[in-house]
Amino acid sequence: MNNHLAKAPVVLDSVLVEVIGSALSTVVEEMGGTLVRAAYSTNIKERRDCTAGLFDAQGRGIAQDEGGSPLHLGSLMGIVDAIMERYPLEEINDGDTFIGNDPFSGGGSHLPDIVLATPVFVDGVLSAWAANLAHHADFGDRGHAHIFQEGLRIPPVRLIRRGHLQQEMLDLILLNCQVPHERKADLRAQQSANRLASQRYKDLCARYGREVMAQAAEELLDYTERRTRAAIEKMPDGVYSFTDKFDCPELDEELDLQVKVTVEGDEILFDFAGNPPQVRASVNVVWTALYASVYYSLKSLVDSDIVANAGLYRPVRIEAPRGSIINCEEPAAVNGRSETCQRIVDLIHGALATAVPERVTAASNGANTGVHFSGRNSRTGKEFVYLETIGGGCGARASKDGLDGVQVHMTNTSNLPVESLETEYPLVVEAYELIQDSGGAGQHRGGLGIRRAVRVEDKNIHFWLDTSRQKSQPWGLDGGTPGASANVALSPGARPIDHGYTVLQPGDRVAIETAGAGAYGPTSKRTPEEVARDLAEGKISEATARRFYPQQTEQTPETGSGSGSSPTQGN
Amino acid sequence: MSLRIGVDTGGTFTDLCAFDEATGQVHVRKVSSTPDDPGRAIIQGLQELLEQIGGRSIDEVTYFAHGTTVGTNALLTGRGVRTGLITTKGFRDLLELGRGRRPHLYDLQADKPEPFVPRDRRYEVTERVRHDGRVEIPLDLEEVRGVVRELKKQAVESIAVCLLYSYVRPEHEQGIGRIIAEEFPEAYVSLSSEVLPEFREFERLSTVVTNAYVGPVVAKYLARLRHSLSEAGLRCQPHVTQSNGGIIPFPTAEELPVRLVLSGPSTGVVGAAATTAAAGSPDIITFDMGGTSSDVSLVQDGSPKVTSSMELDGRPIRSPMLDIHTVGAGGGSIAWIDSGNHLRVGPASAGAFPGPACYGNGQDPTVTDANVVLQVLNPEYLLNGQLKIDAQASHRAIKSLADPLGLTVQEAAQGIIRVVTANMARAIRVISVQRGYDPRDYVLVPFGGAGPLHASRLAMELGSRRILVPETPGAQSALGLLMTDIRSDFMRTQIMLASPAAPGDFNKVFSELTDQANEWFEEEGIETDRRSLSRRVEMRYAGQNYELAVDVPEGEITAETVNVLIDSFQAAHDRMYGYSAHDEVVEAVTFRIQAVASVPRADLRRSSFAGRSVESAILGRRDVYLPEEGGYTSCPVYERSRLDVGHRIVGPAIIEQMDTTTLLLSSDVCVVDDLRNLVIEIRRSISE
Repeated sequence: MNNHLAKAPVVLDSVLVEVIGSALSTVVEEMGGTLVRAAYSTNIKERRDCTAGLFDAQGRGIAQDEGGSPLHLGSLMGIVDAIMERYPLEEINDGDTFIGNDPFSGGGSHLPDIVLATPVFVDGVLSAWAANLAHHADFGDRGHAHIFQEGLRIPPVRLIRRGHLQQEMLDLILLNCQVPHERKADLRAQQSANRLASQRYKDLCARYGREVMAQAAEELLDYTERRTRAAIEKMPDGVYSFTDKFDCPELDEELDLQVKVTVEGDEILFDFAGNPPQVRASVNVVWTALYASVYYSLKSLVDSDIVANAGLYRPVRIEAPRGSIINCEEPAAVNGRSETCQRIVDLIHGALATAVPERVTAASNGANTGVHFSGRNSRTGKEFVYLETIGGGCGARASKDGLDGVQVHMTNTSNLPVESLETEYPLVVEAYELIQDSGGAGQHRGGLGIRRAVRVEDKNIHFWLDTSRQKSQPWGLDGGTPGASANVALSPGARPIDHGYTVLQPGDRVAIETAGAGAYGPTSKRTPEEVARDLAEGKISEATARRFYPQQTEQTPETGSGSGSSPTQGN
Repeated sequence: MSLRIGVDTGGTFTDLCAFDEATGQVHVRKVSSTPDDPGRAIIQGLQELLEQIGGRSIDEVTYFAHGTTVGTNALLTGRGVRTGLITTKGFRDLLELGRGRRPHLYDLQADKPEPFVPRDRRYEVTERVRHDGRVEIPLDLEEVRGVVRELKKQAVESIAVCLLYSYVRPEHEQGIGRIIAEEFPEAYVSLSSEVLPEFREFERLSTVVTNAYVGPVVAKYLARLRHSLSEAGLRCQPHVTQSNGGIIPFPTAEELPVRLVLSGPSTGVVGAAATTAAAGSPDIITFDMGGTSSDVSLVQDGSPKVTSSMELDGRPIRSPMLDIHTVGAGGGSIAWIDSGNHLRVGPASAGAFPGPACYGNGQDPTVTDANVVLQVLNPEYLLNGQLKIDAQASHRAIKSLADPLGLTVQEAAQGIIRVVTANMARAIRVISVQRGYDPRDYVLVPFGGAGPLHASRLAMELGSRRILVPETPGAQSALGLLMTDIRSDFMRTQIMLASPAAPGDFNKVFSELTDQANEWFEEEGIETDRRSLSRRVEMRYAGQNYELAVDVPEGEITAETVNVLIDSFQAAHDRMYGYSAHDEVVEAVTFRIQAVASVPRADLRRSSFAGRSVESAILGRRDVYLPEEGGYTSCPVYERSRLDVGHRIVGPAIIEQMDTTTLLLSSDVCVVDDLRNLVIEIRRSISE
């Protein structure tokens, strides 16, 4: 089955591995912090839409910054392999830094995620790679029929050669960006993060020795593998399937997405056969993003404490038809791939609900709702691109309610403070609030969606919307009802949104409502105290209380009682 | 003659320190804390302390300073008061939405912090100010009046007010404050424009809500203690430590309680800084290891590093504070084996009860049990015999880990020490390496009950070359209170270009802040010759949102000064990020003045060599498990109180004292300096 558990590990080795692992985690956290503090664009400095990682000499991920989003792993994981496939080892030099963003030639999962990767040389030997990615809020107001419309494609090429910035390369890139000044500063911050990581890794080698560091990386991967296998082993063997509806503003029709998960011993297979072919829209998923979604699902479902590195991948097999929406091929557009990725996670939860009911959640809001505003800012006379992704309901859990209004699953970016947003862009936020009744009703309520209303103050502001669950509802589990769908409302007179796109004029308002989330367990089992509290807090309306919780609302609940037994049991 | 008193309230003990100005002697008293009413232990301890030093009268006390965890505990245990919130229309949910992130990237069972104000006590009012201070929608006063009446009906005790852009234009918040004063004068009011006039609405909201929630608790505590002290006969104004390490009078502290959140731990840092500066080591890393956690911080040139924000249980708090990093690694931290067969330590702790297995009540293997097994700790008793140790219980507990790992009990115990050392080293890297400081350049100063026990290994892990163990590591915080100046911070956020063409803008902001500081000096009755001011400005490249602080030289700011500030910023940026961008515009963002009133400090008495031999301090020998020496190694055990100035001990050795044990590894050289500190030179480097 596996050899790793058979031989008892020597504790001194495992302790040293733990010590080095802890040092590597510090390095990637520090990389992430450097990037955020030095950056200029709101998407990085406030929203933290970036991540950092360390790879071993063979390109295997050994540490990832948890300040970023799980989907970022997908953008990072391909690049080192891609560089090493493209360049013979002897052409990779100390002082080089590679840049890339192209999902099909390595280095990204959509074009705004620009990766910088730096080989770390110790004693003249390539010993590790430092890489970080930043989501550059640029390439605004582009098309999404195929990838050539979506922005500049950058294969893994050198931005810095032996310590010298390749100015011509930078000029070429910046000319293709709408906000070149921000790009330049953000790329500088990215270089700063890698420079720091290289130095830290060299310090660690000076301390422990290059070979010990390499061996420790090997052991860290084995360690994660052991823990992952141990966790999979605990799941009941079986074949588990799930199907769901998927929609997005760009597509007129709904698609059927599906997964079949096979658990066998300490290994697991995710089979995506039968998913629809790739579409002429932005929601296609390249394989790295699919893998990142599966790995996130697995880690969060089996053991959230496992150190995230490439050892996690070993007991996992993923099969997905090439050319399908979840394993697309060139020239598919991919900018909105996170909508689909969120649903891959929901699918896996749905499938495994019977295997590990205490660990899965009901469906979350099912989208990574992205609102993009771009145009000319009359205050500065310059182009701007503002991107925000808005959270929503998080699915209810087997023993408690879902979280209200948060980023779920594949993303975990911060919002942009209103006081930063309005200072930088010709926009006004008029409301940012939870939506009453948007969480599914049940023993454990689904999380509430978010309503964010924005007023435009400049002319000809291009608006683009990525979202999902406008046509369907996030499902509940075990008798819990579904959460509310997503919705977008424009003020009267504004030009309607067509397939995700419109142009707004001063005074126009757009109100985005993200979906809530599904509930877990039958409504009859919710306690009167919980119903009363939701009612008092306005998280549910009286109509909802009467409709879904008639018994609980008839009684007058005693507030403050700590009794754990549910008075409605047996109904 | 006069006595100066320092009191530090901890979870287990209340430490009191008296400095007798006549004799220059420091006296220490430890009493059990009384968490239900911390003031009781203080009064009792004070009386015992006065008794102990010869029946002195409380009349003689001319200075009383206090470090407290009342605020922190109220926050951590959710025992603040019933609080309401008034905010801008459309934003009452911001307190729950926060920055939108979920609490844990992968743990689906993790929950967001429960908001201190539930949704039904969060009210919106019609008004809107814009980023440039323009009023887009005037404040609806009648609506406000209705809301305040509602809050009164809801029986809140405290009201937080946080409107958008109140740091630019505080008038709307002030208007609400006036209406509360009319309609509901008994309510405790916190306006965000007073508590934290800074941008980023959620961080400001979280801070003002925290202040409102905990404010009445802290204010009541301080008022009651002030009353008890005065009843007991105290004549002077009592003072309390703020999170920034500065000391302020009780009444001032009662106004901004959020600034007391780190009162307890910051007191220890300030004490260590003062002790070691006196010993000639102004650059230190403090390492305060207690039962459940360790606090670490960095002190440069005698000044602890400061920061402006922290998160407590997932809730951001912004206020001037010492940069203290806490990690869940203490003597009571429990060791366990994870599913990948790795040995892990903490964050779960056996706490004060049941405590480590060797205390006789629990079974979990803890760090303390590992030290008992290794015989680094006295395997028979601790605290001068007050605490019996059950070494067999430690063995049993550690064996439960050793067996599944296929290790001997000693190897497993040593493994626990290595893991916990790595956890602490990681915490220290956060406040050193990650802030651009090399820990090898700093003296490691361990205190708290468990600090000196782990310091030598930690020093090796960090590459430190020197350790300084203060004379009374257990009472470091109380002692620190006698060595700290009275201090207050004044700040203003006003974003402007750093342009040599307009030094007047800088002067204008600083002169307003200087006026505020001088007003404070007057209120505090500080004589002119005891006053000093230092100025800093936080700068960034236009476009960034994070600043770097630059010291501002004294005197009027000229075009020349502005150029100096820009150069200092470029240099700081280069140091921090490895580049500076001379083609970019530099902005000044936050202006700060720190007002310091020097107080006569406890001047530590220097001792000289008394003529006893170092051997006379040896209590006996103990076999201590030292893997570096190949196993159990016979080590001399010294009694700290019998060590004299100039005594020199070469490791391996153990030094025991009432409240801590110091381990010297082989080739560590320890010398007792003339302030009776143990100064340990680390001669080895880690070679594993």
